[in-house]
Amino acid sequence: MFLRIITESFTRTPRRKFLTGAALALGMAVATATLTVALNVGDRLAAEFRSLGANLLVTPKADTLPLEVGGVDYRPVNAGAYLPVDDLPKLKQIFWRNNIKGFTPFLDVPVATSVLSGASVGAPASETTLIGTWVNHRVELGSGETFDTGVLSTNPWWKIENGGRWFREAGDECVVGATLASRNNIHVGDLVGVATLADMEDLRVTGILSTGGAEDNAIVVPLAVAQKFAGQPGKFRRLMVSAVVKPDDAFGRSDPKKLSGADYERWYCSAYIGSISLQIEQALPGVEARAVRQVAEGEGKILGRISVLLWIVTLAALIAAGLAVGSTAATSVLERQKEVGLMKALGASNSLVGAFFLGEQLLLALFGGGLGYAIGVLLARWLSITVFGVSSPARMIMLPVTLGLAVIVAIAGSIFPLRRASRFDPAPILRGE
Amino acid sequence: MFWRILGQLFSASRGRLAVALLALASGAAVTTALINLNLDAVRKVSGEFRTLGANVIVGPHANGSAESELINESVLLKLAPALESAHGVAAPYLYSVVTVDAGADQQSKKAQVIVAGSWLDRASQLSPWWKITGRPISDRNDMENCLVGRNVALQLGIQPGSRIVLNYADSAGNRTASLTVAGVIDSGAQEDNQIIANLPVVQKFSGLKDRIGMVQMIIPGTPPEIESAISQLSATVPALEVRAVPQIAQAEASLLPRIRGLIFFMVALILVLTTLCVFASMAALAMERRRDVGLMKAIGGSISRIVRIFFTEAAALGLAGALIGYVAGIFLSRWIGQRAFHVAISARPEVLPIVVALMVIVSLAGALPLRLLGRVRPAEILRGE
Repeated sequence: MFLRIITESFTRTPRRKFLTGAALALGMAVATATLTVALNVGDRLAAEFRSLGANLLVTPKADTLPLEVGGVDYRPVNAGAYLPVDDLPKLKQIFWRNNIKGFTPFLDVPVATSVLSGASVGAPASETTLIGTWVNHRVELGSGETFDTGVLSTNPWWKIENGGRWFREAGDECVVGATLASRNNIHVGDLVGVATLADMEDLRVTGILSTGGAEDNAIVVPLAVAQKFAGQPGKFRRLMVSAVVKPDDAFGRSDPKKLSGADYERWYCSAYIGSISLQIEQALPGVEARAVRQVAEGEGKILGRISVLLWIVTLAALIAAGLAVGSTAATSVLERQKEVGLMKALGASNSLVGAFFLGEQLLLALFGGGLGYAIGVLLARWLSITVFGVSSPARMIMLPVTLGLAVIVAIAGSIFPLRRASRFDPAPILRGE
Repeated sequence: MFWRILGQLFSASRGRLAVALLALASGAAVTTALINLNLDAVRKVSGEFRTLGANVIVGPHANGSAESELINESVLLKLAPALESAHGVAAPYLYSVVTVDAGADQQSKKAQVIVAGSWLDRASQLSPWWKITGRPISDRNDMENCLVGRNVALQLGIQPGSRIVLNYADSAGNRTASLTVAGVIDSGAQEDNQIIANLPVVQKFSGLKDRIGMVQMIIPGTPPEIESAISQLSATVPALEVRAVPQIAQAEASLLPRIRGLIFFMVALILVLTTLCVFASMAALAMERRRDVGLMKAIGGSISRIVRIFFTEAAALGLAGALIGYVAGIFLSRWIGQRAFHVAISARPEVLPIVVALMVIVSLAGALPLRLLGRVRPAEILRGE
């Protein structure tokens, strides 16, 4: 009987039910879409923030002071400590290995250069710095896996000016910083002689590099070439790591040594910059890994602000969706006061009438909520593709959340008018007063 | 007659109208706040990017000779007016290498260290991420104190309060400067390996009077505003190169459109939903007027005149709701701005006509079904069918 009344009500007034269901679906679609976006946006934006470059600096633990200005080390090669390149694949074995988006070793060597071919042959030799690094180096991770990394991922703002290209690792090639090139009149295709007391070599210029930093005054070469000049085969001095991190909070900043067992576990297994640097220090012997505070702090602040903003907007969307659904539910009950009167006149108790209407709303909420979830997932995916160019994963957890929300809002919206309707005397309602 | 009926309508069903007005006003408030937010979002978010530090630097031209690598301090005065009009912050930098002597007692430690000369009151504004143990230096004429990078402090056993001696030697002989360490900087970058003192200190011992290496600046504003500030600054110092810091500029250029797109789409979704919500409650109100329409028709009113009455009612409601909502929306956008950015989002007057038009149109659209009643015979409506 109960089910028959509900079925009747759906088949007899399909248009009205359709409108209520559509409102529910729309509201829940917006709620699903905004919630999905708000939940995923932190990860997405954190990945986008890698356009700022490396956020971790790895250096030898026992080292002399680098004579560093603008990211270039001017120390002579015989001072200070070095780290082995062979250890680097271990970076992709730490707990948060998938968050390591790139790493680049650097080795800076002071050299004398002279131009050997091209427009300005014969100019006096000048002092400059040779920066050895990887551009897009393939690292063997063992078990056949490889990982391509280098300045393209850790220093994405380094640009080769038009008409040039990056050096090949195998060849005796180099790229020359823009300032150095224009002061010494060096062009793509020229041959540059580079010399230290120990070694000298001729390098072909394949491109002019513009970074806006101290590298504009240096010559950038494959890491192996710099290692040869430094007499330090297989070694580097400084490693820049670009890792996707979770914005720091008070817990993230806590000192791991002072955390209790369970808290330590939780801290270690969160992608805080502190826990990733600790894992790097554990993986590579004799290193110190530190957050580049400019990038880490700035990123944390901006991400924090944006996520507060998005949560406010999401909250507004949820309230708007709730109001839309609640008011439609309320209207649909109000419109049927006459039915309530009739049922009561036929002897139905208030609780039966209430159960009947609530059952109807529940059914509508489940259908509308399910439909809304599907639309919302599509909407979120479309939004994510439009804004970030990557589709966002649908979260299954959102389905029960959406359905639950739809049921709560639909029932909350109908309870108030139902209570009012239950107080009515059936006679005046039936008379149409 | 028309106005009297209208007045009667308003006073007779105050309860229902109040509900409709509430729906309209809250819709208008949300609309106002979100449009304000959307218009201000880029400015506010790009303001947040300034926590990344200097985004513009002034230095010698790339094609100058190596001798002209240092620039005259007087450029700071030349840059000042353009800088002020762009609300920027600037600090000069001059680098030098010295031998540092820490601890005057028997266990004296020495090391070669880069010393940066700057305006220390400004330098910490340009690098807001510095974590300073000890105390910062807030006077650019302080010739007694300096800040020391974390690695320098670790290697030389320096603590806030220590005395250090900087020895500088060149062809003109040896010069020294004796300084007190005010604080230790932790930055995770080059400053960790440097000593930072006020500019005159470094100029004096390195014999580079009135010379600086470069100027770093924070220029606030959206990317186009920064562009125009850069061209104004270059116009004042044509001999130097003023350029955006590519790391910051490119990250901003790739992130800002995404954030703006995100906010825009979320706001658009909510606006559609809010509009539909308001539309639904206005339509419900209009349907309740069916009986009034039937009665008026039965006593001989023309349908166009009757509909005009109800449309005027709807429009008046829309207008009143929009005005109330606009005022509420100003407070709402202030609140959102305070929560998200700690700065109020400014209310824009151009939002008012948009909100009024939207609300009036939505309430008229909600009343539109009443026109259909023209076809209906009054008796049917009065019978309640």
